[in-house]
Amino acid sequence: MRILIAEDLAILREGLAQLLEMRGHQIATVGDAAALHDRAGAWHPDIAVIDIRMPPTHTDEGVRAAVALRAAYPAVGVLLFSQYVETRFAKQLLTGGAAGVGYLLKDRVGDIDEFVDALERVAAGGTALDPEVVNQLFGASQRDHDLARLTRREREALALMAEGRTNAAIAKTFVVTERAVEKHVANIFSKLGLLASESDHRRVLAVLRYLEAA
Amino acid sequence: MPRWWSALAPPRGRAGKELLYVLLTAPLTALGFGYVLAGFVVCAVLSITALGVPVLAAMVPGTRLIARTRLALARWLLGEVVLAPLAFRPAAGLFAWLRTGLRDGPGWRAVAFQLSALPLALVELTVVLFTWAWGVVGLTAPLQHALDLNQNTVDGRRGLVVAGVLIDSWVGVALLSAAGAALLVIAPWSLRVVLVVDRLLVRGLLSRDERAVRIAALRRSRAAAVEDAAATLRRIERDLHDGVQARLVALTMNLAMIGDLVGRGPGQTGDLLESARANARDAIKDLRDVIHDIHPPILDNGLEAAIATLTARSSVPVSCDIRIGDRPAAAIETIAYFCVAELLTNVVKHSRATRATVELSRRGDRLRVVVSDNGSGGAHEAGGSGLRGLADRVATVDGTLSLTSPPGGPTVVSVFLPAHL
Repeated sequence: MRILIAEDLAILREGLAQLLEMRGHQIATVGDAAALHDRAGAWHPDIAVIDIRMPPTHTDEGVRAAVALRAAYPAVGVLLFSQYVETRFAKQLLTGGAAGVGYLLKDRVGDIDEFVDALERVAAGGTALDPEVVNQLFGASQRDHDLARLTRREREALALMAEGRTNAAIAKTFVVTERAVEKHVANIFSKLGLLASESDHRRVLAVLRYLEAA
Repeated sequence: MPRWWSALAPPRGRAGKELLYVLLTAPLTALGFGYVLAGFVVCAVLSITALGVPVLAAMVPGTRLIARTRLALARWLLGEVVLAPLAFRPAAGLFAWLRTGLRDGPGWRAVAFQLSALPLALVELTVVLFTWAWGVVGLTAPLQHALDLNQNTVDGRRGLVVAGVLIDSWVGVALLSAAGAALLVIAPWSLRVVLVVDRLLVRGLLSRDERAVRIAALRRSRAAAVEDAAATLRRIERDLHDGVQARLVALTMNLAMIGDLVGRGPGQTGDLLESARANARDAIKDLRDVIHDIHPPILDNGLEAAIATLTARSSVPVSCDIRIGDRPAAAIETIAYFCVAELLTNVVKHSRATRATVELSRRGDRLRVVVSDNGSGGAHEAGGSGLRGLADRVATVDGTLSLTSPPGGPTVVSVFLPAHL
């Protein structure tokens, strides 16, 4: 894989680069969000690993850079890599869909195999969410059984949604009308308790619910 | 010589200054009274429009200018060394400006001074006129008589009429002259007596209110302390994030790489590596928890983002309504955040609620935080639920915390905080 690392702390930037090079990946590094965008355009990475807190304000530069990067280069996987998990950031990142995105805590590098696995998954258009992210988004364990109430067809639809498919694409797969899929989707939302007021995020939330159970 | 005597002692050399004071303050008093009166009248007339209140808010602090001139005169001519109030500092923003103008204590005291100074000035002028003018007239009565200056006539006699009595004899003139001399002797004294009231008014209404100044100073220093504490915690958080935490993550990477090189390797090495990695992982997690208790990093993104994260974590479903406009002071955000965190913890631990709501709103320059639940109620501040500690923390910034929690619920906790220190 061609992996672009955006991290302002040299000790982590170099450490991560070394670790991934050991596994035979090609690495490029940048120290801030502004450089990330240019480098991604020039170097064509498969995936960008982005620290959230970067100069100048050390707040959410990484998240904004990740969202911008996804919009500019949809083919590039984006993995947020942070010391903290914040619901807000996860939602921001996932608003554009769950395909080709990830959000991991930095301590996950402790297990290289799993970490590289996650990178590969995101680079290939999949999703890699830290269990902490999912915990936070759906902290209440009481909601676990919601998925059990979905019919088999609804679960399949949800699985396809998780891959980032549109209603039209799902309809094609199921060989049914788009209206039928819309009905499935509406049922999923209501069974998962996703209110219409959250309409912006409902699709993402439903997908996350699925990922949590998967 | 007793003290009161020295206060009324013959004003050697001061009589002229005191006289000058009365003569100079008279037009100033008229001006001040006219200004205040005009201000009130304009305010009353405009009060049917939106301009009435702003006029008042401008007039009240404006009175300080006249008061300041009065103070300068009192210092120069009466020797009254009185500290002027601290300068008026209008707050930025229209409403804040209106409020500071209307609540300007020294300004209102100056207004009260201008209103009470008018009758006092009339008394002072009367005394001056009576003693000095009649004194001179009386003293010079023989001269006037000799020069035949007085043309008043009563029953065909000519002379000076005093209190309806015509004085045209040398005896009368001599008596009048003596009375005039006496008046001139007591003139400075009587003015001094009247000026005692003037001095009291100046000291009472135009001086700096030392207690108010002290309170303002305490409030400032406390705000600085609170802000400093918040800034320190934030700096510690950042130092830990960029320092210890980063090194622990780097250590984890190193251990992982060693593990890669050594492979599952010869027995003990692998086990030791695994336990080293577990230790590093636990250290990172512990540190993360500690940091979260010190200063949640998400607070840097604002209260709304931080509380959204907080409510998402709660095991009791929470609905959020956050409308707070521009960002409050950092220290206030931190306090509001920990209030919501603690109150939600209470909801989960004690309330047996199935739903909770968090509302943040802005009431002028106050931030209102309300956390309510549909649980069993019966909470009270002394109940070891951390509410007392929360109330104490809120009180450090002049905030208030109120709790209603009847048995059977619902429980509602309202916290009011100043948006800025």
